Amino acid sequence: MKRQTMYFRMITSSLIRRRSRMLVALLAVAIGATILSGLVTIYYDIPRQMGEEFRSYGANLIFVPGGGDSALNADEVKKATGFIPAEDIVGIAPYRYETVKINEQPFMAAGTDLNEVKKTSPYWFVSGQWPAGSGSVLIGQEVVERIRLSPGDTFTLSGTDIGGKSFSHDFTVSGIVQTGGTEEAFIFMPLSDLEGLMGNSGVLDVVECSISATQQVLNDIAGQVGENVDDVTPRLVKRVTQSEGTVLTKLQALVYLVTVVVLLLTMICVATTMMAVVAERRREIGLKKALGAANKSIIKEFLGEGLLLGGLGGLLGVALGFAFAQTVSINVFARSISFQPLLIPATLIVSVAITGLACLLPVRSATDVDPAIVLRGE
Amino acid sequence: MFWRMVKGAFLRQKGKMLMIAFTIALGASLAAAMLNVMLDVGDKVNQELKTYGANINVLPKGASLLDDLYGVGEGSGVSDQYLKESELGNMKTIFWAHNIVDFTPYLNAKVKLAAQDSEVKLVGTWFSHHLDLPTGESLDTGMESMKSWWDVSGQWLADQDENSAMVGSLVAGRNNIQVGDTITLESGERTKKLTVKGIFNAGSDEDEQIYVPLPTAQELADRAGLVSSVEVSALTTPDNELARRAAQNPNSLSIKEQETWYCTAYVSSICYQIEEVITDAVAKPIRQVAESEGAILEKTQLLMLLITILSLVGSALGISNLVTASVMERSREIGLLKAVGARNSPITWLVLTEILITAVVGGVVGYFAGLGFAQIIGHSVFGSAIDIKPMVIPLVAVLVALVTLAGSIPSIRLLLSLRPAEVLHGR
Repeated sequence: MKRQTMYFRMITSSLIRRRSRMLVALLAVAIGATILSGLVTIYYDIPRQMGEEFRSYGANLIFVPGGGDSALNADEVKKATGFIPAEDIVGIAPYRYETVKINEQPFMAAGTDLNEVKKTSPYWFVSGQWPAGSGSVLIGQEVVERIRLSPGDTFTLSGTDIGGKSFSHDFTVSGIVQTGGTEEAFIFMPLSDLEGLMGNSGVLDVVECSISATQQVLNDIAGQVGENVDDVTPRLVKRVTQSEGTVLTKLQALVYLVTVVVLLLTMICVATTMMAVVAERRREIGLKKALGAANKSIIKEFLGEGLLLGGLGGLLGVALGFAFAQTVSINVFARSISFQPLLIPATLIVSVAITGLACLLPVRSATDVDPAIVLRGE
Repeated sequence: MFWRMVKGAFLRQKGKMLMIAFTIALGASLAAAMLNVMLDVGDKVNQELKTYGANINVLPKGASLLDDLYGVGEGSGVSDQYLKESELGNMKTIFWAHNIVDFTPYLNAKVKLAAQDSEVKLVGTWFSHHLDLPTGESLDTGMESMKSWWDVSGQWLADQDENSAMVGSLVAGRNNIQVGDTITLESGERTKKLTVKGIFNAGSDEDEQIYVPLPTAQELADRAGLVSSVEVSALTTPDNELARRAAQNPNSLSIKEQETWYCTAYVSSICYQIEEVITDAVAKPIRQVAESEGAILEKTQLLMLLITILSLVGSALGISNLVTASVMERSREIGLLKAVGARNSPITWLVLTEILITAVVGGVVGYFAGLGFAQIIGHSVFGSAIDIKPMVIPLVAVLVALVTLAGSIPSIRLLLSLRPAEVLHGR
């Protein structure tokens, strides 16, 4: 018991007496640990964060009518979307297409949930406003080129409904949509408006889902939907899913390699600093040996100091590293980062091991030397 | 005498100086590697994002909407609008020619599968086409490199396979077509027998189409030398306010702004330049790809920038820490120098010269090691070399100099303020 108290007193007093040097060492360890925990946190969170960025490419899973049906049933779609984990859904936009006429010229009208479209197709460029409620529509750039309309204009939409009766209704243009794709030839209106015009509801042509998940998970979802819901055929949008996989793998590999390189270099930096701090105490080691201390007890003492330093630095690093990762995540992705609890012990162990090792090497060589030579100076 | 002392210090403390040089080299290599990778990551990720396919669609003026709107590709009342195949090479002569990675022309036609009533969309295209440019260069381009996500059973066509076809999985499924079968296509009075070399699953509308080499489609549709659209894959700069205004109307810009816009690789300026070299063409950015590319590129660059800053700060602190530790350790020596009558400034210069020489040696070694690290990262992640930017050299040099000075000056001052007698006595 007494022996242990003495041991602790020696370690703590050595740390306190040599405050400035120990601060230097502690700082080195803390920097290393900060970089370790910060970079590893970022590395683990990259797929999730970047994956969400990749959702700007739009829908990655679509539901189309299955079997011989020509349309989707809204109830069946609800059943199908039930298979998608709610927390992964970025947006689900249903579409219904009908032919309508403006000034006796035929156009395609798409009824949809425009709030969801905003989420599934963030790349749409709308000049003007997104429609706020019923009665206002978005029109595609190509439609604009054929009939001169600008935001705020009112036009009459006519056609025949499901029962063969003709209708005509006034709509206001709230915005013009540019995508560079086929969407530019459509008139987008709230689904309820189109259903009101056509006189029936619950019928859809296609449902676009934007899901934040890997290709594997999407395949599973598609498989489940295909098996359990008869009238819905799920299809992966290969261009989006496949390419996302390729690019994301590369990005992750990049961050991985960078992390490894940075960690390696930082660890060596920490080790050299620790070595310098310890090497300077050769005289102290010589004095202890001259007083009759055994090599083992000297090594034990230095190791104890190293471990204490490593532990303190590691703890500091865990906190600072998380703060750093959080800053990066908020600046880059505007989202907070998920905390990896496993990183606390990992960082602690690594920093303790590295400081311990870095202390041991110079102490070893110092203890091998004859105390008389060390004490006399080199 | 001064240099002899410096030399003496190096010889006497070889081990310690080596350790400092080594640490500085590590820090410098880290800085050089990270800066090089960071400066090049935009280009590299941009290349990777090309797997999403084309970001510009070139169509003939006025023909853009008929097919999509009514499903009427040709026939009475439709004025046929096409682009000339012979003009496509011009695309590699524009200002940003270097940024055009790939392009593929398409000729669409409606054909009948013999023994079936239904019409199928036939698309003639380049699969992997060798093109000799007017500039004397040559280029290999085509669909195979632009549709990397296609899942092909059988094999991709080559451009010489004029009697072969690739069939979309939905068409194939409906008509029971297998790889190796022969299909007969009818268009008006013209018929052609083709061998099915591959069946593809593209996960989109393309699965409803049959792809053949361009000459075959031109012959079947009787449209020699014409194409109906061109998909272009170009490396672009993310849009900013200027690009957005220019996209609305290039004439609304002042002459100076227009020059900046024209000479920046915005998707809109590349489109504008394509329209200049191809008669009666409209080039449109495919926003789904162009916009998302910009967003992802910006995020990646910002991420790399922050990681670089972290590692630079980390290595800077690490180095100055070590320098401080090694200067502190020389308290006895400095005390002795003072005791024999040396003044403060020569001592400062002596220690600083030693440390700076070490730093220069370490920095140079580290810079080259850093280039090595950058190339390792480039090759293992992107499979291509990282461009070495000369501007990294002054950055690394300044960083190393600052860090060593910041690490040594405060500690030297501290040591000079101590009394020689106390130091020599050992506290």
